[in-house]
Amino acid sequence: MSLFAALSVSASGLAAQRTRAELLAENLANAETTRTPAGGPYRRKDAVFSSEPVSSAFSSVFAAELDGSLAGVRVAEIVEDTREPERRYLPGHPDADAEGYVAFPRINPAEDMVDLMGAVRGYQANVAAVSAVKDMIHRSIELLR
Amino acid sequence: MLEAVALALERYMDLLAARQKLVASNLANADTPGYRTRDIDFQREFRNLIQGGSPQVIEVAGLPVKNDGNNVSVDREARLLAENALRFNLASNLLRAEIRMVRAAIQEGRQA
Amino acid sequence: MSGRIAEVSGVAPLAPLAPAGGRGEAGFASLLKEAIGRVEGLRRAADESTMKLLAGESEEVHQAALAVQRAELALELFLEVRNKVVQAYQEIMRMPI
Repeated sequence: MSLFAALSVSASGLAAQRTRAELLAENLANAETTRTPAGGPYRRKDAVFSSEPVSSAFSSVFAAELDGSLAGVRVAEIVEDTREPERRYLPGHPDADAEGYVAFPRINPAEDMVDLMGAVRGYQANVAAVSAVKDMIHRSIELLR
Repeated sequence: MLEAVALALERYMDLLAARQKLVASNLANADTPGYRTRDIDFQREFRNLIQGGSPQVIEVAGLPVKNDGNNVSVDREARLLAENALRFNLASNLLRAEIRMVRAAIQEGRQA
Repeated sequence: MSGRIAEVSGVAPLAPLAPAGGRGEAGFASLLKEAIGRVEGLRRAADESTMKLLAGESEEVHQAALAVQRAELALELFLEVRNKVVQAYQEIMRMPI
């Protein structure tokens, strides 16, 4: 029954929003990180979403037309900020360069906080969808009673 | 065996299921750049009471588009999620009543 | 001769209790027919109400739900009554006259 495909779609949404939330949390945690193993300050990371058709383990080649157009989502790639890092004048800082400037990540915590709330809301919306679809499947089963 | 009303209820539930699947897609892609909200024309599809026909997926017009080309309104989708679920609930209960009535007639027929 | 007695005593002859030929059957049958007519009517009303709701012409969920419940109850009642009526008929048939 193809309502199960909707569950796959919502599951993909949950996964994508969670990845996005994790990246944002990482950004917030590293907003002041001047030193990374790769050298240089932390660079802000972002998730790029892209829609893709879903297939569930039970779907066949003859899946209904509608299921073919059901779009799940996935994180197509994780991009790092390529802009020049922010430079602040802190001569006493251990990571200061010859001129006394320290390179800081270009992160606006307020912006990422708001984004994080957006990711959480997106996650919750997908949870609600799973719940609603599950209920519909239950009711269809109850028709047999 | 089940007559016109039962067939109409079945079609109604088919369409609600189709709609709910699209709502799930829209919610999953609420933050996907360039994604456009999808739906079915419920009234029109219900009026063509042809069983087994897959409803036609359309793009929803009139929704505000964000900077990244995405036009999903989480509020709209959340509202539809609840509405579809309630209507499905109602239709399934009405259908169960139909089935009960036929079954009662069969069972009473045996006893008499 | 019985007619003369009836004239004199002023008492009209009673209708036969036991079914004779078909008259008693007609009594039961018309009873059932009337009841089933009512059930059919309620069923039609329920169907109409449901179709209106599905087509979006009426948003009154409670009306459709109540109409369906009424029809269901009427059907169940009818079936019970029919069973009792059939039982009564069978008992009367068994009475030795």
